[in-house]
Amino acid sequence: MELRRASSLELDGGTPVHGGTEVVPLLRAGLLQTETLVDIRGVVPRGIDGDRIGAGVPLADLECDPTIPAALREACRLAASPQLRTMGSLGGNLLQATRCWYWRLNWPCRLHGGDECFAHEGEHREHAIFANDFCASAHPSDVAAALLALDATVRTSRRELPLADLYRLPTDDDPSTTTLERGEVLLEVEVPQADASVYLKAMERKRWAFPIVGVAAARRDGATRVALAGVAPIPWLLTDGLESATPLPRNAYKVDVAKALVKRARAAIDT
Amino acid sequence: MARLIRTEKEVEGRYEEVWLVVDEDALEQWPAGPREIVGRPAPRVDGRERATGQAVYTADLQLPGMLHAAVLRSPHPRARVARLDLSPALASPGVHAAIGPDDIPQLTADCNYQGEAVAAVCADTLAQARDAVAAIDCEFEVLEPLIDPDEAVRRGELLGGEPRTRERGDYERGLAEADVVVEGEYRTQVVLHNSMETHQAVVEWVGDGVEVHISTQYIWGIRAAVAEGLGLPGDKVRVICHYMGGGFGSKNSPDDYTLIAAELAKRTARPVKCALTRREENTAAGNRNATIQRLTVGARSDGTLTALGGEFVNAVGWGGWSSGTEGPMQMLYTCPNVRTTTYGAKLNLPPMKAFRAPGFVEGTFGLEALLDELAAKLDLDPLELRRRNHAAEDEVDGRPYSSKNLLECYRRAQPHWDRRHEVRARSTDVVKRGVGMASQIWYGGGGPPSYAWVRVGSDGRATVVTAMQDIGTGTKTAMAQIAAEELGIPLEHVTVSVGDSARGPYAAISAGSSTTPSMGPAVRAAAADARRQIEEIAEQRGTPDAPPEEIVGLLESAQILGKGARGPNPTGMQVLTFGVQVAEVAVDVETGEVWVERIAAIHDVGRVINPLGASSQVEGGIIQGIGHTLSEQRLHDPATGRLLTTTLDAYKLPTIADVPEIVSELIDVPDEHLTNLGSKGLGEPPIIPVAAAIANAIRDATGADVRELPISREEMLRALREAAAREKGKVGAQAGV
Amino acid sequence: MHLSVNGHDYEVAGEVGTTLAEALRDDLALTGTKIACGEGHCGACTVLVDGAPILSCITLLHSLDGARVTTIEGLRDHAMIDSFVRSDALQCGFCTPGQIVSAVALVESTPSPTREQIRHAMAGNLCRCGAYPKIEEAIRTWRD
Repeated sequence: MELRRASSLELDGGTPVHGGTEVVPLLRAGLLQTETLVDIRGVVPRGIDGDRIGAGVPLADLECDPTIPAALREACRLAASPQLRTMGSLGGNLLQATRCWYWRLNWPCRLHGGDECFAHEGEHREHAIFANDFCASAHPSDVAAALLALDATVRTSRRELPLADLYRLPTDDDPSTTTLERGEVLLEVEVPQADASVYLKAMERKRWAFPIVGVAAARRDGATRVALAGVAPIPWLLTDGLESATPLPRNAYKVDVAKALVKRARAAIDT
Repeated sequence: MARLIRTEKEVEGRYEEVWLVVDEDALEQWPAGPREIVGRPAPRVDGRERATGQAVYTADLQLPGMLHAAVLRSPHPRARVARLDLSPALASPGVHAAIGPDDIPQLTADCNYQGEAVAAVCADTLAQARDAVAAIDCEFEVLEPLIDPDEAVRRGELLGGEPRTRERGDYERGLAEADVVVEGEYRTQVVLHNSMETHQAVVEWVGDGVEVHISTQYIWGIRAAVAEGLGLPGDKVRVICHYMGGGFGSKNSPDDYTLIAAELAKRTARPVKCALTRREENTAAGNRNATIQRLTVGARSDGTLTALGGEFVNAVGWGGWSSGTEGPMQMLYTCPNVRTTTYGAKLNLPPMKAFRAPGFVEGTFGLEALLDELAAKLDLDPLELRRRNHAAEDEVDGRPYSSKNLLECYRRAQPHWDRRHEVRARSTDVVKRGVGMASQIWYGGGGPPSYAWVRVGSDGRATVVTAMQDIGTGTKTAMAQIAAEELGIPLEHVTVSVGDSARGPYAAISAGSSTTPSMGPAVRAAAADARRQIEEIAEQRGTPDAPPEEIVGLLESAQILGKGARGPNPTGMQVLTFGVQVAEVAVDVETGEVWVERIAAIHDVGRVINPLGASSQVEGGIIQGIGHTLSEQRLHDPATGRLLTTTLDAYKLPTIADVPEIVSELIDVPDEHLTNLGSKGLGEPPIIPVAAAIANAIRDATGADVRELPISREEMLRALREAAAREKGKVGAQAGV
Repeated sequence: MHLSVNGHDYEVAGEVGTTLAEALRDDLALTGTKIACGEGHCGACTVLVDGAPILSCITLLHSLDGARVTTIEGLRDHAMIDSFVRSDALQCGFCTPGQIVSAVALVESTPSPTREQIRHAMAGNLCRCGAYPKIEEAIRTWRD
């Protein structure tokens, strides 16, 4: 394997790596194979300019930044562990893979190109309650939910798009959960200020755990957006309410947790 | 003087009758209370080595020419190896040797649990060894596993073939006499030890013998087992363990990796390290098995118990033993009629291992939750219910206790228990608060044999020599304190030399809370022997009152060598530890989140040698108990039995943010019948009542009956819904609906 | 591969893919830094890179061009060591070097951390023995 440093946004093949908190464990677990790693730390912006946050900014910087919306700050503060927040970037957090144990243990599931979702009949207490028909994996990013509620825009090396369009549900023909193309690099996230925002997280220990349910709510110009982490294969904008959830036999409790947190999040940002 | 006696030896709650050579010692116990050194806080004698990273653990050991082993382990709970071809591995870069099922009994082609070892390879680097294992041509014929414990019981697939029934009095009559009968089914989950240093050994053949460096809780047990496994006399096996990174019961035997390393070392004439990865650790290095407990209690309206009964299913796995989950029900309270039946379900799951009070943590959860449900039904104060059923003597064997201060524990628990009114008053609509308690009973008397030598030189300094291990409990420091106290010299003048079976006499296993009560008296006896010799010299010199420094100053190169041994346990007595814990919790009734805010722990373990180390044991046990209660669970795929939570992101240990306020009190009254110290072990008692105290506090806060561990969001919300439905039913009934 | 560790300069040979933890332990015999999980989940491998606490078991050696690494060996004289020993903030000791490195990083930026700050900053260092209450005390009292 080779590690080279990107000198421009033309990556010339290879697997991009920034903080490495996602790529290195996946490599060592055999979930990612590559001949070439491309270190993109030199070409991805690392600063904050008004509403624009470089995708290379570490979460540790954002967790104590008073100028960014509260939901984003809180999502960063409660994400991962202190060391991972120091090493890991905003962009990397948005692009992280599911914690589904079937996927992580390399079972031949749909996300690995197979034809079965083992969580359906199996152990799915941590899995999705929305859009879980094809694949029941849950998206683990707190930050993505916050940015979705904040209606953030993402700029890549090729285009600008609403954050929501960065994600896609996996399908038969394409198991990926992001819409990034090969060689496309996440550069910046533009986060418009909100009148009020909040992030509430339910997890199984008090720190350093992925969201069972994460609820981000943001109010801007009288309109409120609510987005959830940990409930669908991608960050989930709550448009139809929790009654439209389709829980599996042993994860209906997530609906109850989500109900309570959504109610509290809305109350927290109400004028 | 040595003599041969027949006595009882207890480890982890299992008794065996043994013939033992013991040394009597005629030392009087010290009077109760802190001494000059014993009973006073002492920082760890090796604290600096550990903190600076200088301490060399087995994981850090790099011997010249050392090779690294990797193991092919069955990925299936039940499978037969249909084809195995090691030649691709042998052809891999850096590989020196490869072995399979025909070579050593630790490797098998008939796999009965995930993680069972099939083949092993050693190479220059760990990465090469792992790549070589991946290259092995191995085909498994996957077979149908048995993973459901109730199904195993139905089929009669039990360890030992038979269930274990223990009965006293007349259970049916006891039930008939009861005014109130409460039944409940309780379940506990599989919990993984997750010592921070994984299981591992470095084995090197030296001359006609073998040197084994290993992360272990039992140097002498490893010596015996490796000697037997290799067909060597014991003295040709040297076992070394200076520092080890935690065991909690999982590191009492050599398992497969030690003998795999030994065979590879023999074939290559090089030292070989075989270390488990974290994933292997969480697959096949042992676990606390799951239990199903179907319990019944009958009592009179004043709370006195008339009957206790239970069916206990231990989901043991493929091997190990069926632990004493029924122990608390049998032993903790006075009750004339008790009947328990315990099934050890043999399953295609990795074998259980001892884990900090095996059986009693699980059984205390069931029993103490059941008794609290009884208290609620009788409208009786739960602490008062325990008091009313206090057993003055052991009712299983009819023996007196060597010492029991449980009533004193209850007395000291009272002010913590009295906080419940104030705690409940702080409840809001969404966050309910409550207080719960639970009692604890366990072993902890230790026993013979254990030996120590104490060497005193002309500089007046002493070295304690014994081939014991310190698994992180601080027992090394306690030994230094005991020797210093007995010799009357400063603690800083005592060195403790341990960890090597070639350099020192036999020492007890560090399991079953037995190190301090087994090793401590031997060390004191050895120090006393040295002290007596110094006093005799002073007499001969005609200066009987000369200070010891003056006498030893005469030694020059001569030394005083004292030796001591652990005497027998008091015959005809039950040597047990007792305690009580009071937990304060908060429950978010909408999200099911549970906070443990405070735990008061009061334990009776005889004389406390080092209050600083002891409080660390209490805190550590409580924190492991909190993990067991709230967040830890080994999960497997229900269809195939394959394990799902083998990594530390999926298997959730408590973090520092999960720790409550912990207030600990030790009764610290010597057990006057037990050895020259009166000390019992403290390693296990603190974990035992935690789950029950928390579950009972949750009931106090919310009225919800938690019946399953861990108390996940799902279980908490289920219990809250059940409680709400019960309330509605009551209200409905009252309204005549 | 040029590596600066505890103020010393080293040349480390290694394949791309070698982690910093492996290089420290296997090539430089600095075994104070422990590997307990190897996947970035437990914090035992924590070292400082340019003063910031990172997980050396998932840091690629070849990504560290010009960085200054501080391991537990480089903190031998730090007052935090004595504080941990005095407070009995360790039991088996295997997680302890990682704990101390994280603790040192915390007090460099926040010399008198509150209980909440300590719990937040140390949550990535798991301790199976449960030395947490005394770790908190050791950090609270490190300057005493």
